[in-house]
Amino acid sequence: MLRVESVNKIFTSYARVTNTLQDINLTVNRGEFVSIVGPSGCGKSTLLNVIAGLEKSTGGRVVKDGQEIIDAGPDRVVMFQDSALFPWLKVIDNVEYGMKIAGITKPKRREIAIKYLKMVHLTQFASSYPHELSGGMRQRVALARALAMDSDILLMDEPFAALDGQTRNILHSELQHIWSETRKTIIFVTHNVEEAVLLADRVIVMTANPGTIKKEFIVEIPRPRKIESLELARVVNQIMSELREEVEKVAKSEFDSDWSPRSSKLLPTPV
Amino acid sequence: MQQRKKVSVASVSKKIIFYLVFVGIWEMFFRLKLWPEYSFPAPLGVAENLVTGFSDSSYFIAVGISLKRILIGYLISLSLGFSLGLLIIRIRFLDETLSPLLLGLQTLPSICWLPLAILWFGIGEDSIIFVVAIGSIFSISMSVVSGVKNVPPIYLRAAKTMGAKGIKAYTTVVLPAALPAIVTGMKQGWSFAWRALMAGELLSPKDGLGYALTIGRDLADMNQVVGVMIMIVIIGLVIDKLIFGKLENAIRHRWGLTRA
Ligand SMILES: Nc1ncnc2c1ncn2[C@@H]1O[C@H](COP(=O)(O)OP(=O)(O)O)[C@@H](O)[C@H]1O
Ligand SMILES: [Mg+2]
Repeated sequence: MLRVESVNKIFTSYARVTNTLQDINLTVNRGEFVSIVGPSGCGKSTLLNVIAGLEKSTGGRVVKDGQEIIDAGPDRVVMFQDSALFPWLKVIDNVEYGMKIAGITKPKRREIAIKYLKMVHLTQFASSYPHELSGGMRQRVALARALAMDSDILLMDEPFAALDGQTRNILHSELQHIWSETRKTIIFVTHNVEEAVLLADRVIVMTANPGTIKKEFIVEIPRPRKIESLELARVVNQIMSELREEVEKVAKSEFDSDWSPRSSKLLPTPV
Repeated sequence: MQQRKKVSVASVSKKIIFYLVFVGIWEMFFRLKLWPEYSFPAPLGVAENLVTGFSDSSYFIAVGISLKRILIGYLISLSLGFSLGLLIIRIRFLDETLSPLLLGLQTLPSICWLPLAILWFGIGEDSIIFVVAIGSIFSISMSVVSGVKNVPPIYLRAAKTMGAKGIKAYTTVVLPAALPAIVTGMKQGWSFAWRALMAGELLSPKDGLGYALTIGRDLADMNQVVGVMIMIVIIGLVIDKLIFGKLENAIRHRWGLTRA
């Protein structure tokens, strides 16, 4: 079980002091799939990085299974928007990387790597190099690499944001399938509300400036879920109207004063 | 495939024809006797000189000695250059103070180190090897520094969350990620070292290719001068293009850096 306890994060640079995270409290239970949504720049990645131990908070703490998190570690593997595969390693060696660091023997880790490559349907490409794969395939390899770590928690930072719609849909249904098989604890950050509702048990809505948690939605739609389903659209709408306010607020603070939400096509409109 | 082969045959024959014509014009100018033979050699004379040089194995020995020197000098500069580079990366103070100095020293033609080397080591083997090593050490260490500094941070973050830290993260992520830049620096270092070696040998009173060039001058044997120059060009080209060029391309290709 993971608990985020009154976490603050203040970035101080020459130009300004940013209250990126303010008093964040969040509990994630074992086997739970939690999505965090919010306007871009509201601190989602920062929160995920604090949980990962890649970034230090300026206040509060993150506790996992009774232990305070002070550093990054293989129990909380991260999957990034850009696959971050190592270009000098073959696909299979990329998947094996973390296990190699952990000192697992070659035959054992090869077996595990093949198992997860099978899960993402890429065994044929085991000996290709990352640059020979499409963006969607690279994200699948990154997913296999993260799963192969068998970490307690999987942290995903907009892993499908850079993919085209069709590829993203395929990966959504694969991730649903994989999650129902493995029951991993997943924290999934996205700005795409449909994606969040489709995948998660619980959707956390964040506000910007300062970044706080605004509201929490429990998604009780039975799985497997379909993105076209009316039930799903209803929840998406609820969250959207919550977010709309937030996006407007951010836009007002970032754009020139002649900008108005009425004239803009940028905002999400209820379906 | 078929198409590509035809094109490359055409381009090879184009080159062959170019060089035949080039040698032909060269021979023609020689026959016109515009200049005395000791200042303008004939292609045939040069070829003859090369054949004699190799058949009495004196050129083999010269080439061997030069290659041995550059190998020793280059290996020294490789190990010192790497260590210096890694040291600069670890210690910020050194980076701030030493890096600009190294950059400056890199612009100094390495033969300018020879007087200093002679005062330290005397005339001979050691000072030549010193000049060779010093010629490439700066490009190698600078490329290690900039290669490591430019490793995309995301690789390190990914490695960290997979449990790699310290030395392990260094050897499994930082160095491989920096390798393309480092190999480019090694290639540049090599060509500096080769130039430094020739300059050093020209001034050395003993042996090697550069010395063979001096002998040619002393004997007013233009055929030998040009013949040795041709050998120096060919060896330089072969090592630069065939060894370092191939290695660099292979690495860049595997790292996915060659995609248009
Ligand atoms: N390294 C940093 N230095 C200064 N400010 C930062 C840094 N990282 C993030 N921020 C600030 O924190 C805010 C939130 O960033 P981020 O967590 O990346 O948002 P999100 O992932 O929700 O788009 C940004 O608006 C930015 O101003
Ligand atoms: Mg982000």
